[in-house]
Amino acid sequence: MMHQTVLCGSATVSDGRDVHLRLDGLTKRYGESVAVAALDLAVPKGELVALLGPSGCGKTTTLRMVAGLIKPTNGRIVVGSNDITIMPTYRRDMGLVFQSYALFPHMSVAKNVAFGLEMRSVPKPEIERRVKEALGMVRLEALAERKPRELSGGQQQRVALARALVIRPSILLLDEPLSNLDAKLRDEMRNEIRDIQQSLGITAVFVTHDQVEALSMCDKVVVMQGGKLEQVGTPVDVYEHPASPFVASFVGRTNRLKGTAQGDGSVTIGAMKVLVPGRPGGKVEIMVRPHRMKLVEEGSVEDVAGQEVNRLAGHLKRVTFVGDLLQYSVDVGGAEIVVEAASDHGRGFRIVGTPVAVLWRVEDTMVFGRGA
Amino acid sequence: MMTITVPTAPTVSRPALGRTGTAAALLLPIALINAIGFILPVLNLLRMSFNEALAGGGVRETFTLANWTGLFGDSFYVELIINSITVSLSITIATLIVSYPIALYLHRSTGRWRTFLTVLVISPLLTSAVVRTYGWIALLADQGPIVSAIAALGIAPPRLMFNTTGVIIGLTEILMPYMILSLLAGFGRLDPRVEEAAMSLGAPPAKTFWRVILPLTLPGIALGCLLCFVLAVSSFITPKLLGGGRIFLLATEIYDQAIVTLNWPLAATLSMLVLIIFGAALAAYARVLRAIE
Repeated sequence: MMHQTVLCGSATVSDGRDVHLRLDGLTKRYGESVAVAALDLAVPKGELVALLGPSGCGKTTTLRMVAGLIKPTNGRIVVGSNDITIMPTYRRDMGLVFQSYALFPHMSVAKNVAFGLEMRSVPKPEIERRVKEALGMVRLEALAERKPRELSGGQQQRVALARALVIRPSILLLDEPLSNLDAKLRDEMRNEIRDIQQSLGITAVFVTHDQVEALSMCDKVVVMQGGKLEQVGTPVDVYEHPASPFVASFVGRTNRLKGTAQGDGSVTIGAMKVLVPGRPGGKVEIMVRPHRMKLVEEGSVEDVAGQEVNRLAGHLKRVTFVGDLLQYSVDVGGAEIVVEAASDHGRGFRIVGTPVAVLWRVEDTMVFGRGA
Repeated sequence: MMTITVPTAPTVSRPALGRTGTAAALLLPIALINAIGFILPVLNLLRMSFNEALAGGGVRETFTLANWTGLFGDSFYVELIINSITVSLSITIATLIVSYPIALYLHRSTGRWRTFLTVLVISPLLTSAVVRTYGWIALLADQGPIVSAIAALGIAPPRLMFNTTGVIIGLTEILMPYMILSLLAGFGRLDPRVEEAAMSLGAPPAKTFWRVILPLTLPGIALGCLLCFVLAVSSFITPKLLGGGRIFLLATEIYDQAIVTLNWPLAATLSMLVLIIFGAALAAYARVLRAIE
């Protein structure tokens, strides 16, 4: 059986980089159910790739197969030019970081970090030097003699990162490493992991269900659903040009309206009519990002600099203040559309029931067919 | 998004005195039972160990160290004590070795299978040790299936009964459920992710076991060993039957002195000695726990 290997993303980004990790038709079945279905993926050297998807999409199963913790039902895992599909975990030379940190509770921080080096029979003075260096990298030299339970969640995860990196693994695997941390810490760790990954130039696979993590940290985003790839691309690709309605709605917020395309560049949605790019036909779903839309007073004349715009009239249903944003829910002919606007000191439309109009540029409209 | 502060319900705080009073009232029944059924008899035994034994089973109320000095001066008793401790330690170690893999497997199994296996492990406790010991006698007898099978292989048949080997085999099996349950209770710190982390860092299965799994299961091992050692030292029926009267251990000797020879002061002294051994075992357990943290 031939598998066409899909190179991660566009050639411009991965140009000149060798493929470091390749998955060929990787499959995992549990009885009748398929966790991962014939996955093909190539990760270029030095890239940080996110496996993004809802729980149960097969992203963690894929990572665990790469780590050797789960035996694939079918397919191959290749690192460089070596087929490692059946190689045991302890010989794979991969750094693994878990959501639950998984530090050795009976060992000090320094001992945790030293473990991988001891397994490799590195001479003692070198172990000491490299442990110090690795703890320095995550700014934890001062806590070397502490036990894991005396550390905060963020500190524990930094120890786990140091422990995984000190062995200079060929590939770093991160399984939802930020999910147990609170929001502020998560932002910090995100930057920290990205900076370290970049400075070491290490190939890394990052499993997450959080689109913000995937978009902000990674070179490539692999969107998965139901054990299959939905889209592989740069964060900008995946966000701006989603390949499917699933990707559009999973990555970033979106408004979805179902209608019928007329084949002339317009789509009717109930009694409303909107213009779309191209000339699609048949039943379609159109999607528009909330922040691409603009809310204006009903009847106002808005100049959108000669661009083709859609304009739907409705009335304000709800206003939600989120600090930096105002989210407006607008009732447009029975459908609810969410519009986001930068919050200017909380000023904006506030009175529920106000007649308003929603504007957006035709080119910002995404159209997906809905089958026959 | 709007955040609304929800006022917390005022907590009803009961007066501290009332709570202590409730605790005392709840503890009173067990304290009474323990005082009457355990502490008083032990004190009585302690007193009797300093009394003088008279021929024909009489006890004279005096204060003499004769029982204690006689015990440590008699090579039979010194050997008996050493033998009891070594046999009990052997039983404990044998029980640990055969129970550990079972407990580890049970710990890792899930759902109905786990429930089924747990019931299977506990089920021997539903039969009395006497019945199980007779079962072992049938199995280990000179003409029994095990000895015959070994003989059929052309190996000189060993004696498996009426000696220390028989006692160790029988008690090991009888104590296994206690060991397995203790191990399981102490396996809480064992997280499969931690084992996976060790493997990802290059530790082969054997190294993962010695460096990660074993240290993390030490609390369970300590608890199981304490419990089995104590039960082995105090076990009486199995050594009596499987030892065939030729194996002299503390528990069997206490029985003989109290019931056969009617030397109650000596039986009391031996009983106190067993208590001292238990105390030492408990102290050792506490030390091990502290070392593990």
